[in-house]
Amino acid sequence: MTIAISAGGRSGRGVGVKADTMLGILLVSPILITMAALVFYPIGRTVWDSLHRVNPMQAGTPFVGLENYTRMLSDGPLGTTWVNTFVYVVLAVVAETVFGVLAAALINQVKVGRQWLLAAVVLPWALPGVVNAVIWLWIYQPGAGLLNGVLSAIGLPFENHVWFNDRTSAIIAVTVVHVWRMMPLTVVIVLAAMQSIPAHLYEAARIDGATRAQMFTLVTLPLVRSAIAVAMTNATVNAFNLFDEAWVLAGSSLETRPVLVQIYLETFQNLRFSYGMALSLVITLVSLLVSLVYVLRVYRNTRFD
Amino acid sequence: MKQSLSHRLLIWAGVAVLLIWSLGPIYWTLASSITPTEDFSARPIHFFPRHFTLDHFSRLFGIDIARIGGVQVWSQFRAALINSIVTSVAATLLCVAISALGAYAFTRIQFPGRGFLFAAIVATLAIPGYAVLIPLYRIMISLHLVDTYVGVALIYVSAYLPLSLWLLRSVFEALPIALEEAAQLDGAGRLYIFFNIVLPLAGPGLTAAAILTFLGAWGQYLVPLIFSPQATKPLTVLIPEFVTKNFIDYGLITASGSIAIIIPALVVIFLNRYLVSGLLAGSVK
Repeated sequence: MTIAISAGGRSGRGVGVKADTMLGILLVSPILITMAALVFYPIGRTVWDSLHRVNPMQAGTPFVGLENYTRMLSDGPLGTTWVNTFVYVVLAVVAETVFGVLAAALINQVKVGRQWLLAAVVLPWALPGVVNAVIWLWIYQPGAGLLNGVLSAIGLPFENHVWFNDRTSAIIAVTVVHVWRMMPLTVVIVLAAMQSIPAHLYEAARIDGATRAQMFTLVTLPLVRSAIAVAMTNATVNAFNLFDEAWVLAGSSLETRPVLVQIYLETFQNLRFSYGMALSLVITLVSLLVSLVYVLRVYRNTRFD
Repeated sequence: MKQSLSHRLLIWAGVAVLLIWSLGPIYWTLASSITPTEDFSARPIHFFPRHFTLDHFSRLFGIDIARIGGVQVWSQFRAALINSIVTSVAATLLCVAISALGAYAFTRIQFPGRGFLFAAIVATLAIPGYAVLIPLYRIMISLHLVDTYVGVALIYVSAYLPLSLWLLRSVFEALPIALEEAAQLDGAGRLYIFFNIVLPLAGPGLTAAAILTFLGAWGQYLVPLIFSPQATKPLTVLIPEFVTKNFIDYGLITASGSIAIIIPALVVIFLNRYLVSGLLAGSVK
């Protein structure tokens, strides 16, 4: 009896479930078509073509095995761009994390007008990267720029200093623009974690006689650690993806050229399509592996705490 | 907790530094855009413009060019402004529309391969755009979609779809299912429920997804540099062109930069709450 009823119920619902399944597939089909055509197929194509010689100037696309990958090892300019990219990543991740956490802690202390302060801090992130870069190009301008103007106004000898003549200062100048644009992301992520810390923890620390510095290092920091790791992962991937700032501020100059600009030049100026594809796969993997390091570290730390 | 005076001073000093760091460069761009070119190299530097001019904007908008002199850029600038607006708006509408439909299906409807497909789509968030740019370029050439609105908008859609889908699914999952079940018992169909119950409740999530897609598309540079070289060239590609090898026209750059800033600034001022919630959801992928 029970079996008959439940069987009846199931077959009755069966039509509805089938129609529902069809509707579900129908609703996701625009996404699937877009992603298949513009993301999944191109990714597969990138992997496949990176094993071939694809160059619009040369006929045929012969299979070359790992030649595109082995060539990277003896590519001098490429080595320089890797060094530049790693310098950008280290400088940007450290600066964004240290200043971003401090800025988040500061905003967390502000009671009046906090949302306006946060809006001001988020604004650089919302602007187009190219616009940020031209804003800073104007600030760094040797003769009339704001930076030299401010430095000479306080009496330093920087009237016509050219910031892009020297590799160290050029790289720092590009990094500053990148940090200006990406730090808001760290602030937003860490601030959200700080706001979710229950007030009674600070109350308890205060009763135990903790100073503000102790509260920050012993209560706040441990509780926002996973948020900091998330922010660092984002910062890392963004720094590996640095393109707009370097391209607008210094063009193809090898001194500041990151790997991404190298890929652009190899692909769209030298027309070595397959070499560019092999390079983009390698930098994708490297950026994901480096991010994975933080994720694993935080995972381990929180597990054994 | 009672705040000591020194602590409050420290906070105010920190806030001042933070505001100068974040807004200073933007202020300087706006100030420069209304400063006459002759005043640019005036030293010692003036933090407030001593003379006011709209000449840079006039050149940009092609007003009274005969008096000011200089190159005619209005037709280029107008085209770039329209291109930026058209592609960003089209990409945003399309992206939010199809990701909302899909996110609803991924949340509430069972179909084979649901979990796998969702994971595969969201996993592409970890893949930077340039890993697909080159094959995409060849696909777009073979479809004759290079330098067309459709081609560029579709690329933006594919770039921001995973984030938007991820965000909207978490929004839909948080909605109380009881409402939908009640409507279902009353005989409402899936689509009726979606359009009349789910969508109105998901307003903030849709806004966040739309903002992220719009700002992303509005700020794109590498993609239009490759896919929109001429007819559909957006502002982000045009503005750096005012930087030439021999001469950099800072008047035009700061004026056009100020205009490119307006829309993101309005979004941040009026919709920051949604923007921040979207950023948070997007960061924890």
